[in-house]
Amino acid sequence: MFINYIKIAFRNLLKNKGFSVINITGLAIGMASAILILLWINHETSYDQFHEKKDRIYEAWHRAEFSGELQCWNTTPKVLAGAMQKDLPEVETTARVNWRNMKLFTVGDKSLMSGGNIVDSTFFRVFSFQPLKGNLETALMNNDGIVLTRSLALSLFGTEDVLGKIVKIDQEENAIVTAVVEDPPKNTRFNFEYLLPWSNMRKMQGDESNWQNNSIRTYVLLRPNTNLAGVQEKMKTFRVKYVPDEPKWQMFIYPISKWRLYSNFENGKESGGNILYVRIFAVTAAFILLIACINFMNLSTARSEKRAREVGIRKVVGAMKSSLVAQFIGESILVAGIAGLLALLIVILSLPAFNQLTSKELMIDFADPTFWGLFIAFILITGILAGSYPAFFLSSFKPTRVLKGAFNKSNATVSPRKVLVVTQFSFAIILIMCTIVVRKQLLHAQNRNAGYDKDKLVYHMMNGDLYKNYTLVKNELLESGIASSVTKTSAPLTQAWRDTWGIQWAGKDPNDKTDFDIFSSDENLAKTAGLQLVHGRDFDLAKYPTDSMGMLINESAMKAMNLKDPIGKEIFDGDEKFHVVGVFRDFIIQSPFYPTKPMLIEGAGPNWFNTIHFKLSNSGTVADNVRKAESIFKKYNPSYPFEFKFIDAEYDAKFAGEKRVATLSWLFSFLTIFISCLGLFGLATYMTATRTKEIGVRKVLGASVTSISGMLSKDFLKLVLISVFIGCPIAWWAMNNWLDNYPYRTGIEWWLFLLTAGIAMLIALATVSYQAIRAALSNPVKSLRSE
Amino acid sequence: MIKISNLEKIYRTEDVETVALNKLSFEVKDGEFVAVMGPSGCGKSTLLNILGLLDDPDSGSFLFNGIEVAGFNERKRADLRKRNIGFVFQSFNLIDELTVFENVELPLIYTGVKAAERKKIVEDVLDKMVIMHRRNHYPQQLSGGQQQRVAVARAVVNNPKLILADEPTGNLDSSNGNEVMQLLTDLNEQGTTIVMVTHSEHDARYSHRIIRMLDGQTVMQDLMV
Ligand SMILES: Nc1ncnc2c1ncn2[C@@H]1O[C@H](COP(=O)(O)OP(=O)(O)OP(=O)(O)O)[C@@H](O)[C@H]1O
Ligand SMILES: [Mg+2]
Repeated sequence: MFINYIKIAFRNLLKNKGFSVINITGLAIGMASAILILLWINHETSYDQFHEKKDRIYEAWHRAEFSGELQCWNTTPKVLAGAMQKDLPEVETTARVNWRNMKLFTVGDKSLMSGGNIVDSTFFRVFSFQPLKGNLETALMNNDGIVLTRSLALSLFGTEDVLGKIVKIDQEENAIVTAVVEDPPKNTRFNFEYLLPWSNMRKMQGDESNWQNNSIRTYVLLRPNTNLAGVQEKMKTFRVKYVPDEPKWQMFIYPISKWRLYSNFENGKESGGNILYVRIFAVTAAFILLIACINFMNLSTARSEKRAREVGIRKVVGAMKSSLVAQFIGESILVAGIAGLLALLIVILSLPAFNQLTSKELMIDFADPTFWGLFIAFILITGILAGSYPAFFLSSFKPTRVLKGAFNKSNATVSPRKVLVVTQFSFAIILIMCTIVVRKQLLHAQNRNAGYDKDKLVYHMMNGDLYKNYTLVKNELLESGIASSVTKTSAPLTQAWRDTWGIQWAGKDPNDKTDFDIFSSDENLAKTAGLQLVHGRDFDLAKYPTDSMGMLINESAMKAMNLKDPIGKEIFDGDEKFHVVGVFRDFIIQSPFYPTKPMLIEGAGPNWFNTIHFKLSNSGTVADNVRKAESIFKKYNPSYPFEFKFIDAEYDAKFAGEKRVATLSWLFSFLTIFISCLGLFGLATYMTATRTKEIGVRKVLGASVTSISGMLSKDFLKLVLISVFIGCPIAWWAMNNWLDNYPYRTGIEWWLFLLTAGIAMLIALATVSYQAIRAALSNPVKSLRSE
Repeated sequence: MIKISNLEKIYRTEDVETVALNKLSFEVKDGEFVAVMGPSGCGKSTLLNILGLLDDPDSGSFLFNGIEVAGFNERKRADLRKRNIGFVFQSFNLIDELTVFENVELPLIYTGVKAAERKKIVEDVLDKMVIMHRRNHYPQQLSGGQQQRVAVARAVVNNPKLILADEPTGNLDSSNGNEVMQLLTDLNEQGTTIVMVTHSEHDARYSHRIIRMLDGQTVMQDLMV
């Protein structure tokens, strides 16, 4: 029986090549999209799930109230770990990790910058990483030791066999390689290239024992079978025991399974995180697959007249309804199987591009039997989803009717089919609308005036000998004509590193909690960055040495401090007293999607600088000037590589997330429309084929080509129009919610709906009209004779 | 074999009610060859569909081999049908996507006969119908007479006790028609009961008895010699 089904299924596929191609292509594209998205979801949900003790690993968090709002954060004091081990018997061990830090590594004459962490020696007892050389249990107990990843070992030494070899760190310390580990997988938050034992903390950053400085993360490994609720209860009051004067600061521990997908807190409560994107993606995958399945359903039922006779005959010779259902579902599983293999091919070909788009390194492990198991399950689900409606529809035909040959010709657009087409196009319209709004919002923010001149503006971080040779570097950059202006600052102009509400000035309301972004520079910042001064002047230490305690403020700050005549006013940051020398127009330092904040730029006096900005001069090409700049930096800072950044590229990176959303929504809407139109094309083909005789008669009676093709297209356009009315409100709701994330946002105007409707109608019309016009142009004599 | 009494079938559409069978009663004995005749629209096909368990009467009784089958559900009817009844239609009703062999094989598949046995039975039947040399052809590649021979082969492959034929010669020329009538006669002589609807007095002469219908009722029965 089974072979008989397969046989007839294959012959049906071959006999109706057009429909088969449409069905299989649509399904393959839908399945490929779903597989790509599932790969992405699988990756997102697998973060840090490879640690053997993952069920017992937690991270320590703070929770406290600030200006009426509960805030949660995961930086902790360095002494917390020891205190927890001492006071809580439930804790098996703890591991502290500092923020990822770039360091210069030197071996022989090879130097390179590499990122990693300083960690407790217990790090590998808590987390599972793959050892290559050495013993991970003891590797971090040696105060002079260092653990390298395979790639760092290879780039420094050219081999993994490096146990006992010496690496120079930041030109100062020597460390002995005590272990080499495999590079951490992509799906972990620990993306280190080196690990240094905690003893380095004192030398490099300070290992203070107070509870005020919250600068590292504390990970906790609980003992097996611990009562979590009990630990949480103790954690609530844990900090207060040591810091009684801050009774409101609570603590809690947060499980590893939630780090990646949740860990967004809003007013003390979990409010999602990446899980939102996982859900959006999952829904999208389901819908694209559904839309592809709808094609299959529509075309199968539209062609039912053809299959009805077969159903009748099979029933007459003894087939049960159930065996016919099995037969038709079997056929759709066969189609899904062919489409699935094609989808796999599409996935393999498009994975590199998809990885680039999502900045991931997803891949398929073809040697993994669970992959094939899931793949087959996926095909079965698709086949059943696509095939069940047609199967029940077809198998319920009554043989007495269909065999008489008087099978009522069902209009090709009876209601279930109409509903399905409307579903497809509603979803397509939602996606079109989202694509347009996302792009509009992106352009809106990109076109926003940044407030400074990003062109040819370059920065380099301070390191090595640059601290001491800054003036030499600056002079040579200026004298050689490479740069037109050079300034050192506390941070890159694209990043806000410090903010405070502790600024004082004469006339300040004691309740005023205005938060100021704090920046600092030596001189000529307005010139280097192209800031627009509205009052006063730029810092100029040569002419006004007191500018070292001068201050530039932006217009928002002037307004926030309510200064009528700001020049010369005194402003206090802690104990330091600054005087205002200039006011500049607000520029965007953080997110271009947010309003600018009040900002103060302090003079050089008490400040420490991390960044050198310089404006490349207009003479000579950029490439040429950069090359010359490199030789100057090399000359004065020989052991560090020249790693400069263009400000305009960094500024552009602020849009990366939104650009990705824009590209993805474009991609998904394109795919949805493509699949929907494939189906529409199939339906139109079928429709016109069943109406050839009618068309012939109408033409003989004098109907024009336009009136006939109009008549044929009208039915479909009506459906698209209904979809517009369903899709637009949903899209409006979704995009309104999305735009709510952006204080600086574009509007959703009425013409967007018209545009969306227009695009959808046009695409549908183009799809349908080909068949309609072809049918209308056909010779009526031919179509009538064929009857 | 068949005993129907007061059989009624009414078709209801939105505005008209058609009484297709009006309190129809008659009997068919084992081994009989009965022809049913009557003007177009008098309910012959409707009757045949009910006799073939493809359709259910609205009222009345239908004893098949002594069992009351009126009111059987679809599953039971299908089960009874595939073991006992073969059909031959005016328009052959072969499945275009299957070969001659596969078309004839179909009823055996649904009754669950093993593949090797199926092959033997089908080849036997095809031999008898003199269509063996066409076993791998598709229906469109055959003449009308050949297609009807395949349809007869399919109807008898299960060794049914009853064959129902609805105008089996309606689409055939006279020589092809006679050939098919000869096949049916042979089957009848081997013991198969046959009920055949026909418009042709010539064909009706092959039968033992003619039931004449008008407006859903039997008007007379002629006995042939
Ligand atoms: N599905 C149906 N719905 C409504 N009326 C029907 C249906 N099938 C048959 N009829 C009506 O029932 C009556 C009997 O039809 P039937 O097909 O049995 O006639 P027939 O004797 O076989 O005619 P013919 O010799 O033309 O084949 C006719 O009036 C027909 O119009
Ligand atoms: Mg009839």
